[in-house]
Amino acid sequence: MNALATGAADAIEIRNLVKRFGAFTAVKDVNISVPAGSFLVLVGPSGCGKSTLLRMLAGLEGPSEGEIAFVGQTVSSGAGGVIADAGRRNAGLVFQSYALWPHMTVAGNIAWPLKVARWPRERRDRRVKEVLALLGIGALAERYPAEISGGQQQRVAIARTIAPEPSILLFDEPLSNLDAKLRIEMRSELMRIHRATGATSVYVTHDQVEAMTMATHVAVLNNGRVEQFGKPIDLLRNPATTFVATFLGTPPANLLPAQRVGEMFAFGDTPLVSGSIAPGHAEVQLLYRAEDVCVGAVADKPSVTARFAEAAPIAGRTMVTAMLGELRITGMAEGYFSAMPGDPVTLSFIRTPDAVFAVSGERITQ
Amino acid sequence: MTSTSTFAPSGGSRLLRSGFIMPAILVAIVAVLVVAPLVRILLSTLTPAGIEAWQAVLVSPLSFNLWWRPLFNTMVLGFGVASGCLILGGFLAWLVVLTDVPGRRLLGLMATLPYMIPSFAAALAWGTLFRNSRLGGSAGFFETNGLAIPDWLAWGLVPTAIVLIAHYYSLAYTIIAAALSSVGADLVEAGQMAGARRPRIFFGIILPVVTPALIAAASLTFAGAVANFAAPALLGLPVRMQTLSTRLFGMIETGQNERGFVLALLLITVSALFLWMSDRIVSGRKAFITVTGKGGRTKRFPLGVWRWPLFAIAVAIGLLATVTPVLVLAASSLAPQSGALFSNWTLHFWIGEGGGEIAQGQAGIFRNPVLIDAIWNTIRLGLVVALTTMLLGLALAYTIVQRRGSLLATILSQLAFVPLLVPSIAFAAAYIALFGAPIGPLPSLYGTFALLVIAASAHNLPFAVQSGRSVLGQISADIEESARLTGAGPLRRLFAIIFPLAIRGLFAGAMLVFVKMVRDLSLVVLLFTATSPVLSMVAYRYAAEGFMQFANAITLVILIVCLAASFLAHSLQNRVQKWKES
Repeated sequence: MNALATGAADAIEIRNLVKRFGAFTAVKDVNISVPAGSFLVLVGPSGCGKSTLLRMLAGLEGPSEGEIAFVGQTVSSGAGGVIADAGRRNAGLVFQSYALWPHMTVAGNIAWPLKVARWPRERRDRRVKEVLALLGIGALAERYPAEISGGQQQRVAIARTIAPEPSILLFDEPLSNLDAKLRIEMRSELMRIHRATGATSVYVTHDQVEAMTMATHVAVLNNGRVEQFGKPIDLLRNPATTFVATFLGTPPANLLPAQRVGEMFAFGDTPLVSGSIAPGHAEVQLLYRAEDVCVGAVADKPSVTARFAEAAPIAGRTMVTAMLGELRITGMAEGYFSAMPGDPVTLSFIRTPDAVFAVSGERITQ
Repeated sequence: MTSTSTFAPSGGSRLLRSGFIMPAILVAIVAVLVVAPLVRILLSTLTPAGIEAWQAVLVSPLSFNLWWRPLFNTMVLGFGVASGCLILGGFLAWLVVLTDVPGRRLLGLMATLPYMIPSFAAALAWGTLFRNSRLGGSAGFFETNGLAIPDWLAWGLVPTAIVLIAHYYSLAYTIIAAALSSVGADLVEAGQMAGARRPRIFFGIILPVVTPALIAAASLTFAGAVANFAAPALLGLPVRMQTLSTRLFGMIETGQNERGFVLALLLITVSALFLWMSDRIVSGRKAFITVTGKGGRTKRFPLGVWRWPLFAIAVAIGLLATVTPVLVLAASSLAPQSGALFSNWTLHFWIGEGGGEIAQGQAGIFRNPVLIDAIWNTIRLGLVVALTTMLLGLALAYTIVQRRGSLLATILSQLAFVPLLVPSIAFAAAYIALFGAPIGPLPSLYGTFALLVIAASAHNLPFAVQSGRSVLGQISADIEESARLTGAGPLRRLFAIIFPLAIRGLFAGAMLVFVKMVRDLSLVVLLFTATSPVLSMVAYRYAAEGFMQFANAITLVILIVCLAASFLAHSLQNRVQKWKES
């Protein structure tokens, strides 16, 4: 496939993967591959198939069609089901619920997988101490899971997963049960652990901020399909579909429907941009980032008047959201800005659209 | 005080102030119901006559027969029944919760049924089938049809234990199944990720996690077997096999009250000791409840070729424990000879006139005025006790929850749970000790309906408080507070919010109490007299006198009353809370 390939197989390669539950297709024809040491984030709204994909990587579910290969070795396939058992893939999974065994102490939880793997006692003890120290939970070794906090349970779950030194680490929404502050803390903690272990990681989340901050590779999933796969910055800069464009990025980008009126594409009565950006299209969707929409009138720039909805100060500027009919438009105001809900607000489009999409959602321009 | 003080005596605190009276009354009630009888029975054994009874029971030539031998039998029964229940209940729970066995709903339902059937139903059915000719009289079905039944299978410990296991395994099933379904799939999958195989996951993760439930199930079935009166009385007494409960009954029956009281105290000690020990093991740091967990989802293991064979075994267990006894009782109540259960059927035992050849001239049960009385008494007892129990339970639970952390709440909740440790027949003995003689101006309550009601309400207190709490637990504080913010007064809130939300739980609790009372024998057997007969007692009398068909027929009547009550309560429940699915 790749002319520059050195021959070394990718750490994870997913080919034409399909998973059906009865009549429902949870995962549709997914193709992803990442090199060793990557941090792959699968992101998407709930029910998009990301957890099912992760469970297939873990070997807890078998695919209906397609293949999964770890370092060139097929571990699951539609024809053979789960070829390598969950425990024989050299992969570890951190569960959303942590799944700590309540009858074992923290140290016991971490040691058990090593016992199952028949590590000699001395090496086991050393490793348990090592990961306890790595996660900073050495003091909790003799506690039971019910006796420690949620954040600590999370650390134990991670310690237990990395203890057998898996070459692949899988995370199923690991931070979703933590409060906002702990979540940010654990985010950097997880990245530190990723660097320390060097394991290829696959991380499932519905939080696009987690995806953008942690990933080396991102796959945006929607309805069981990969909408786009690539580096986070590339996805942000060049979204392939309207779904990706509106799902990623803070604040969310604006998507304006526009019709061809003469030589221009117009949003309602307001001509916005030359029709030459999408030859042959009568209707398009224009992507404007919040920083390209300015609150207040600007000379020579097209503008609309919307009803004020809310304002949030961000880094010395204010993010203003206004309603135009049913459409939410987000723009930026210099300094602080406030108004009463329903007040008229003028929004000016100070740059050309960042991207143009067909009505179907596909990208038209580069 | 500042201006806020004008707002302070609002509805809430007024209730609190008048609320001092209610807890005081409750403490008094619980003291009279629970503490007084137990103190009284203890004091009765400290009189000169009582001391003599202690000596006779514990250190005298009689003590082997009065205490050691019954204790031994009781222990054998307790351990045997507890192990049998763990094996049967555990097997069924594992099958239903953790495997892909077919018909899991059906199996689950079948496993909960035996508890609805009184233990003497199974004992009577056993006798009808297995009775041998050792004691004279007509032999049972098997022996009459040419299958010699050895004594050990016809009488004594073995059949008693089998009958009790058939009765109590459903209790073990319920507890273990609940624990198993709390073992989330994640816990199992985490084990799979670690590379553990199925046996390792079962013994390393699942079994240890449910160990507290296993211990609880074992101790509760142990206590049940130790306290049971009907089964050892029907299957053991004819061959002079005594347990502590039958011994205690025999003493009081023959007027040796002090010795009876001593045995009651000893029985309480034995039963409470085991419950307390199991509680010690289960509580503390090891009292793990599954941590977080997505809940609901459990991992089901494929059984492969064993699916249908194991299904068949489970169905067979259910049929043997529930359907067979009922069928045998029904057939026996129609057959003149228990050797020919399915021929010459007659309705004589139900409605026949007396004076004929059959049954030594005894009339059918519906010709017996005592029986009509007993049906009425039984239903009345069930209803009254259900009502008093649920009212008391609700009041106690409310007070305990409202005053959580206070000394009063602690005392109330501790006292209300004392009857759990006391076997019902010993509890009845304590009531005889307290109310058997006039207290001051009050007449003796012995033999009255009122005494039955009081004793039964007291004995149901632990259950009452528990169900009261669960009922109140469904009504969160916010729900009541949001109604309060609309300005609705306490009475309005009670009828518009609390009552509709609580009614279903109250119904369910009341129904259980009703069924429990209707099928109870061990509590009423001592407190009953000819003036206030109840069905179970009449059945026991018939059986003790050898009129098995009559006893069986009455047991069927009890079953029908219980089933009718369950159905009625079920349909009422669905009617009163339409927003909940059945």
